[in-house]
Amino acid sequence: MTSSAQPGRRPNYAAGVLTAGWLVIVLAPIYVLVKASLQTQTDYNSSGPLSIPDHVTPSNFGTVIHSGFLRYFVNTAIITAAVVAIVVVLVPPVAFAIVRNRGRTVTLVFRIFLLGLTVPVQAVIVPLYFVITKVGLYDTLIAVILPTAAFSLPLSTIIMTGSMRDITGDLYEAMALEGATSWHIFRHLVLPLARGGMATIIIFSALNAWNGFLLPLILSQSAHVRVFTLGLYDFQTVSSINAPAICAAVVLSIVPILVVYLFARRALIRGLMGVGGK
Amino acid sequence: MSVSRHWSRRTVVAATLALTTAAALVAFGAASSSATTKASSARPANKIVVLAYGDAQNKAEQWAVDTYNKTPQGKKVKAVLQTIPGANYQTKLQTIIGSSNAPDVFFNWGGGSIVQFQKAGLLLPLNGFMKADPKLKSSFLPSILSAAKIGSNYYGIPMRGTQPVMLFYNKTLLAAHHLTPPTTWAQLLSDVAALKNAGVQVPIALGGADQWPTLMWFEYAYDRVAGPSLVTDALNGKSSVWKTPDSTKALGYLKQLIDAGAFGPSKSWDSVYFTKNQTAQMLIGGQAAFELMGSWYYSTVQSQSASFAAKELGYSAFPSIPGGKGNLNDLAGNTENYYSVLKNTRYPQAVAAFLKVMYSPAFVKQELALGNLTTTTNTPKLISGPTAPYLRYQFNLIKKAQAFQLSWDQAWPQTNSNAIHTAVADYFDNPDSNAFASAMAALKPAG
Amino acid sequence: MTALAVRGGRKKSSGGLQIGRPSFLWSLPALLYFVVCALVPLGVVIWLSFTSWNALGSPAWVGTDNWTSLFHDATLIHSFKVTAILTGLGILTQTPVSLLLGVWAAGHERNRAILSALYFIPLLMSATAISIVWLSLLNPYYGLPRELHWLFDNSLLGHGYLFSYTGTAIGVLTFVGMWQWTPFHTLIYQGGARAIPEVLYQAAAIDGAGRVRQFFSITLPQLRNTIITSVVLILVGSFTTFDSILILTAGRPGVSTTSTSYYMYVNGFEKFQFGNASVIGVLLVVVTTLISLIVVRVSGWDKMRSTQEGV
Repeated sequence: MTSSAQPGRRPNYAAGVLTAGWLVIVLAPIYVLVKASLQTQTDYNSSGPLSIPDHVTPSNFGTVIHSGFLRYFVNTAIITAAVVAIVVVLVPPVAFAIVRNRGRTVTLVFRIFLLGLTVPVQAVIVPLYFVITKVGLYDTLIAVILPTAAFSLPLSTIIMTGSMRDITGDLYEAMALEGATSWHIFRHLVLPLARGGMATIIIFSALNAWNGFLLPLILSQSAHVRVFTLGLYDFQTVSSINAPAICAAVVLSIVPILVVYLFARRALIRGLMGVGGK
Repeated sequence: MSVSRHWSRRTVVAATLALTTAAALVAFGAASSSATTKASSARPANKIVVLAYGDAQNKAEQWAVDTYNKTPQGKKVKAVLQTIPGANYQTKLQTIIGSSNAPDVFFNWGGGSIVQFQKAGLLLPLNGFMKADPKLKSSFLPSILSAAKIGSNYYGIPMRGTQPVMLFYNKTLLAAHHLTPPTTWAQLLSDVAALKNAGVQVPIALGGADQWPTLMWFEYAYDRVAGPSLVTDALNGKSSVWKTPDSTKALGYLKQLIDAGAFGPSKSWDSVYFTKNQTAQMLIGGQAAFELMGSWYYSTVQSQSASFAAKELGYSAFPSIPGGKGNLNDLAGNTENYYSVLKNTRYPQAVAAFLKVMYSPAFVKQELALGNLTTTTNTPKLISGPTAPYLRYQFNLIKKAQAFQLSWDQAWPQTNSNAIHTAVADYFDNPDSNAFASAMAALKPAG
Repeated sequence: MTALAVRGGRKKSSGGLQIGRPSFLWSLPALLYFVVCALVPLGVVIWLSFTSWNALGSPAWVGTDNWTSLFHDATLIHSFKVTAILTGLGILTQTPVSLLLGVWAAGHERNRAILSALYFIPLLMSATAISIVWLSLLNPYYGLPRELHWLFDNSLLGHGYLFSYTGTAIGVLTFVGMWQWTPFHTLIYQGGARAIPEVLYQAAAIDGAGRVRQFFSITLPQLRNTIITSVVLILVGSFTTFDSILILTAGRPGVSTTSTSYYMYVNGFEKFQFGNASVIGVLLVVVTTLISLIVVRVSGWDKMRSTQEGV
């Protein structure tokens, strides 16, 4: 809690300059992004990125959608849903075990996940490509889903154990006194109380899957399994001169996340905090 | 009792982990060995995939696919065109060709670009198709077919056009400064100087960020100075050619051009791409006057401005270099692009039927309309329309040429292309002839 | 009550407390999945590093050839330098800005909340999208360098040809990294600053300490743990920066922006020397694990993990 709300203090000019300056740096590309998506290519090329447009046109969005981006959108959504499903099914049980079972074996399991946290997905793209190709799964959605979910597990587990640790012992003891099985406790005590953690890992793994680029780059090729980020990359490889169309594509890619931001800001922020530099 | 329960639990975990890992490795090992010997029946049903280099010429390729799909064979086994953006084509092809999703028919440059695929047993020899349909062989120029021949087997059917590299220019811009396309090196330098004086900061557009456009300057410089034999010897394994006086001389001429600021300020070209239509825009917009590029440049410019391509795009041969051993008529570029066929294709008959489209007059006309000089025997008769002058010019160039140097990054096996691109890009950034010579001498020729 | 207060004991034989505890079988599905999909590939990359493979056919065993040849590879050694430079610049640029913004944003004035929401926008974009937008904006002929030529036409900024020179290319990567990650770290510092007790500031104000003095004597020391967290995240994250390098510079000019993870990609998916790429992959794993272990040990970070960092 800072103290600058005190009456009679000089306004903080330094802070004002810094924050205003940073605001310009953050917003300028966003402004260009939105504005360029509504311009024609010739207008953009002749007048420059920052200029105020004379004419606006929605035609770029049509171009982008006709280039197959709807398909990419669907593919990305499928991958995201599958990854979230895998994480939601696998993580709560193991978090429950880590928090409530203090045996050496489960502690070993926790250490394995901690170790997994330090492994960058970059390091295993070569063997992943090798294995996926050899088992005949190259260029499929499954090929992207499986490793993406796997690399979401360590951090999701840590987030979930943190959330479950906040459930106090008395609640467990109360249920244990009634003779509840671990499954009963899990379903009726842990899951409802760990809703915050659940929301966090859902958002975190969903964002990870939605914005994933490296794994789809390595493990897929054809347009029918292409994801949005790859579609953006291919699109600008072909014609970066058509900045308006590229900007339209980027705007489309942000819209779903923007919607989530508007409706679930806190959950989104908590989920992003869990991203941890990956 | 609790101790033994601890042990048994840990043993169970360890055993499970070990078993799972072993099972995973065994399963994937079994799957991999069966995947590589998998029958073609594992490939998609009732479909053949045609993979092409993604650029402005895909129109004709899509037309060919659509035409085939209308035939009776095409109604049973559909053809689907897939493209990979040009800048990534060769790397993506290599990652996909060993997988079970490999395309049935794919675009390549013949020569070194298919050698390693053939060695790995991935290509279908086309002699069988040619026997069943003699026109598949007789419709194409023999010298072109032999560029995709390895040993006694043909592996490629021409599908675009022959692509000599020419010096393109902006007619209006040159005329405005009273300049003519250069026929000698001296004239090239003086044109560049005149343009710079007139304020054209980048007289010659160069897509240095792509690296392979830079290569074209080397191909011509070496040919004009040393003649075609230097590169032929290098391809046969004689790496000492790169350290000869001719090689150093050729590099010296390039340095002269670089130092004159012909390509813009030093290293500025590293921020400019050809593949994203940037250099084409520069020529159209008058920011550059020249660009050395393959004949596909016509369709690239056409896609950005049809009127410019039709009225203001000029083209000429590469100038001569004084005292050089090469002939002014020698050409460099891509002999052709070919479709090769995957050995494991599920529908060879469908593929053979698709390949028939490649020599049909209607398809030839489609390619000619893009400015591509096809290599079928009936091409000269079919040249007509707005691209006719351009096509006839190319045709005469090819006719006069005594040597046609295949682009170095296609002539040498695929695995060398990264090294070749790096060597030429490094030289332009920092003209060190020793470094260039060593890099080229370290290339691994075929065989 | 006291009997029930014994929680989490390692002995499992005490009757009632055993009821309802999950057995280790609960952890098995996740463990198996993780082992197969993430750890088995680790084993495979070690094996592949002793083979030669070019994506066609099967890997051929070559023993330690890849390891010895890469030992002499100048580009690989240079890539360590590049990675270190990018990491260092990342820390130097992101930390001060995020810290100052985070402390400022922790205040409760309404305009701060609105502005914070705006600052948050880059986090909504994928790394790919951000790099593509900046690549477009920094195009020398059609982007900001031409429009703002008064700003770019000097040798410090390469006269607008930002991707042609080592210094400016690294600058672009650093700047885009800062644009992308500052919002994230601002959130971290905001959370940390909000947790500082108001009492400390009031006491200092009574003693007559000005704003600057309060910042250095109270805010910074109280944020020590937060700074460590943030720097650790930048450190570990910079080893894996890939998307922006691929899209913005492709490791160029020359190899001056080829980081170690990018060089691994080049060796694998552009040169098709997967054996060499695997060697670099193994190196990456070893280095990141070592760094994480050292940092965790030195800073006691894992003790911080159990406290919830909320917003």
